[in-house]
Amino acid sequence: MISAPLSRRGFLAGLGGVGAAALLGACATGSDDSSGTAASSTLTLQSSLSDPDPKAALTKVVEGYTKNKTTLNTIAIETFRAQLPTYLNSGNPPDVLTWYAGSVARDYASKGFLLDVSDLWAGDGPCANFSPALKELSTADGKQIFIPTNYYWWGVFYRKSAFQEWGVEVPATWDEFIAVCKTIKGKGVPPLSMGTGSTPWVASGWFDYLNLRVNGAEFHRDLLAGKHSFDGPEVKAVMEHYRQLVEYIDPKGRSYSWQDAVTPLASKKAGMYLIGAFITSAVPQDSVDDLDFFRVPIIDPSVPVAEEAPTDGYFASAKSRNVAGAKDLLAYLASAPAQQQFIELAKSSNLPTSPTVDTSKFSPLVQKGITLLNESKAITQFFNRDSSDELQTTADTALTKFLDAPGDVGKILTEWQASAKKVLGS
Amino acid sequence: MTAVAAPDRPRRRTRVPAVVWAFLAVPALVELAMVFWPALNSFYLSFTEWNGLGAAKPIGLDNFRNLASDDVFRGAFENNVIWAVGFGGLSVLGGLALAVALNRPRRGVGLYRSAIYLPMVFSLAVTGLFWRVQYQPDGTINTFLGAIGLESLEKQWLANPDTALYAVLIAAVWRQVGYVMVLYLAGLKSTDPTLDDASAVDGASAWQRFRFVTWPQLRGVNTVVFAVTVIDSLRTFDIVWAMTQGGPYHSSELLSTYMFQQGFTFLNLGYASAIAVVIFALALIFIITYLVRATKEEAA
Repeated sequence: MISAPLSRRGFLAGLGGVGAAALLGACATGSDDSSGTAASSTLTLQSSLSDPDPKAALTKVVEGYTKNKTTLNTIAIETFRAQLPTYLNSGNPPDVLTWYAGSVARDYASKGFLLDVSDLWAGDGPCANFSPALKELSTADGKQIFIPTNYYWWGVFYRKSAFQEWGVEVPATWDEFIAVCKTIKGKGVPPLSMGTGSTPWVASGWFDYLNLRVNGAEFHRDLLAGKHSFDGPEVKAVMEHYRQLVEYIDPKGRSYSWQDAVTPLASKKAGMYLIGAFITSAVPQDSVDDLDFFRVPIIDPSVPVAEEAPTDGYFASAKSRNVAGAKDLLAYLASAPAQQQFIELAKSSNLPTSPTVDTSKFSPLVQKGITLLNESKAITQFFNRDSSDELQTTADTALTKFLDAPGDVGKILTEWQASAKKVLGS
Repeated sequence: MTAVAAPDRPRRRTRVPAVVWAFLAVPALVELAMVFWPALNSFYLSFTEWNGLGAAKPIGLDNFRNLASDDVFRGAFENNVIWAVGFGGLSVLGGLALAVALNRPRRGVGLYRSAIYLPMVFSLAVTGLFWRVQYQPDGTINTFLGAIGLESLEKQWLANPDTALYAVLIAAVWRQVGYVMVLYLAGLKSTDPTLDDASAVDGASAWQRFRFVTWPQLRGVNTVVFAVTVIDSLRTFDIVWAMTQGGPYHSSELLSTYMFQQGFTFLNLGYASAIAVVIFALALIFIITYLVRATKEEAA
C-alpha cells in the first residue's frame, strides 16, 4: 500500500469536502421530508389495471371522486404482483389497492396487512346489498377485508354463424358435446382452440370445469387447498374426461398464447374455445355480435352446477394513515354509478357486483352471462385464485405434459401430487 | 505486489495527497453501498426463508439441500451447461469465422459487417419476440421447410420439449455472433500483417498461417471473448423469458429463469437467493480458472 503523511492543508480540504457532501445530502433528505408530510392527507390508489381501456376507465372514475385528493398509481401487472407484499409491508403503504378476491386476499388478511372493512358491508353500507356468495368470498376470519366491484364468467365460446354452417346445435350434455366435436372435426376444422403456449394456465380451465362437473365445487376447493390428492381416483376420473378432449384440441394451440388462439376461432378455423368473458376484448369488432357461448356441458346431473366467476376489486392497507379516507374511497368505488361507469368505459364484458346497477343496457351476451351465474349453485374463482400462483405452475407443468402425452396420465398425476405437496407444505 | 518490488527501488514515491483519498472514498462508498452490500445480503438471504414480509428466518443450509433434490433445478443446471457450451461454442466459432472472412478490405465488406452486427442493436427481448414469430406453427421456418419439400421436419419448435431450448439457443447465437465478430475484427486489426506475409513467403498454407501465426496473437482478445461469453451465457434470461418462459414444462428452464420465477413470481426469496449464489459461484469458478491459466501462460 502507498501511504502519504497527511498535510494539514490536505486534511482541511478533505474535511471541507466531506462537510459539503453532508450538507448536500441534508438538503436532499430535507426536501423529501417536506413532500412526505404533504402527501399523508392525499389518498393513494395503487392499480394493476395497466391495459389501455381499463386504465383510462379507472382514471375517469377516480377523477369523479372529489372528497379527498387521490393519486392513482398504475403499475404493470407482473410488477404489481411481485411487489404487492412489499407495498403492503412498507411503512407508508398505498391506502387502497386493486386485486383479486379469494385465497390471495385471505392470505394477506391472515398476515394482518388488510384493513377490516366490515362496516362497509353492514347496515346501509355500500356493500350491504351484495350477494351472500360475494360476502363469503370477501370474508376472512369473520371479517370482511375485500370490496368486490366486478366479476366475469367462463363459458365455451363459439361463432353462431359457424355453428350454422357446420349444422351443429349447442350441446347440453357431455355426450352431445363430444358428438359436436366429432362433427366439426369431420369438416376438417379443429373443434377446440386453446392457447397453452405462453399462457399454459389456460389448460387449467378445462381441468377446473371437469372437476366441478365430475366431483363438484366443494371437492374442487378442498383439492386446491391440499385436502385431497392429485393422484387420487377422483382426479383420475377428471383426467379420463379430459383425455376424451385431447384429440379435438387444435395442436397448434401449444405454440399460442390465449390471445393468439382467439384468431382461429374468430376466422372459423376452430370451433369452440373455453375461456373467460375477457375474450370479447380479443375478438375483432365486426365478429363480436356473432360471438355466443354455452355452459360447459353437464356430466353428472346429481352434482350441483358450479361456475367459475373470478372476482376483481379492491382492498385497503391495514397501515393506511388515513383510514376514514380509504374507506370513503372504497365506498365510492363500490357504489353503483362508479361500477357502471367503470364497466362501460373499460369496454369489458365484466359484470357489476352491485345489484342496483342498471344492466338492461348491457349487451345480450353479458345479460346471458348474468343469467348463467345466477342459475349456478356454487361459484369458484380459478385455479390460481383458489390456490396460489405457485400451485398454478404445478398444474401448468402437469396439464401441458398431459396434452402432449395423454397416455402417461398416471405418472403425470403422481409427479403433480409430489410437486403440489412441496408447494402446499412450504 | 508493491511489497515485493519495494526493497530494490529507491524510496521515492509520489505522495498521494489526502484529499485524493477523500475523493476516492466517495465512489468506493457508493460501490460498497450499491453493489457489495446487496450482494452480501443475497448471500445472507440464501441461508434464510423469506417471502418479502417481515423478518427473514434463518434456516441454515436447507435451501441448498432442497436445491440438490429439486428436479427442476437439476434440469435447469443441465440446460445451463448445454447453453454455455452451445452458446459459447457457436458464437465464438461463428464470430471468429466471420471476422477472418471479413477482415480483408474488399468491396462491400463494410455492408456485410454492419449487416451481421445489426442484430446486436436489438434488445434480447425484441430478438425473442422476432424469433417467436418465425417459430410459430405457420411461421417462416415451417413455411420454408414446406416449400422445399421437407414437411416431415416441420415442428412446433417452441412447444416441443425436445427442440425448445435449441430453438432459443439459435436465436441467441444469431444475435451474439455479430458482437464476437467485432471483437475478433478488432483483434485481427492489431495483429502484425508482416508476420503473415513472411510466413506466406515461407510457404505456409492458409490454415497454418492462421493457426500458428494469427491465433497466438489473438490471446488478449480470447480472454475478453471468453469472459464475455461465460458471463453472458450464465446471465441469459430475457430471451428465454420472451420466447418460452422456461416452458414447455421446464424443458428450456435456465438457472436465471428459475431464479426469477422462484423469487418474483412465488416470492421464495431465500430459495431464489440460493440459486443466485450457485450462479455466482459458477461464474467465479470459470472466470478464475481461466484467468489463472491465462496469467500462467503469459508468465511462462
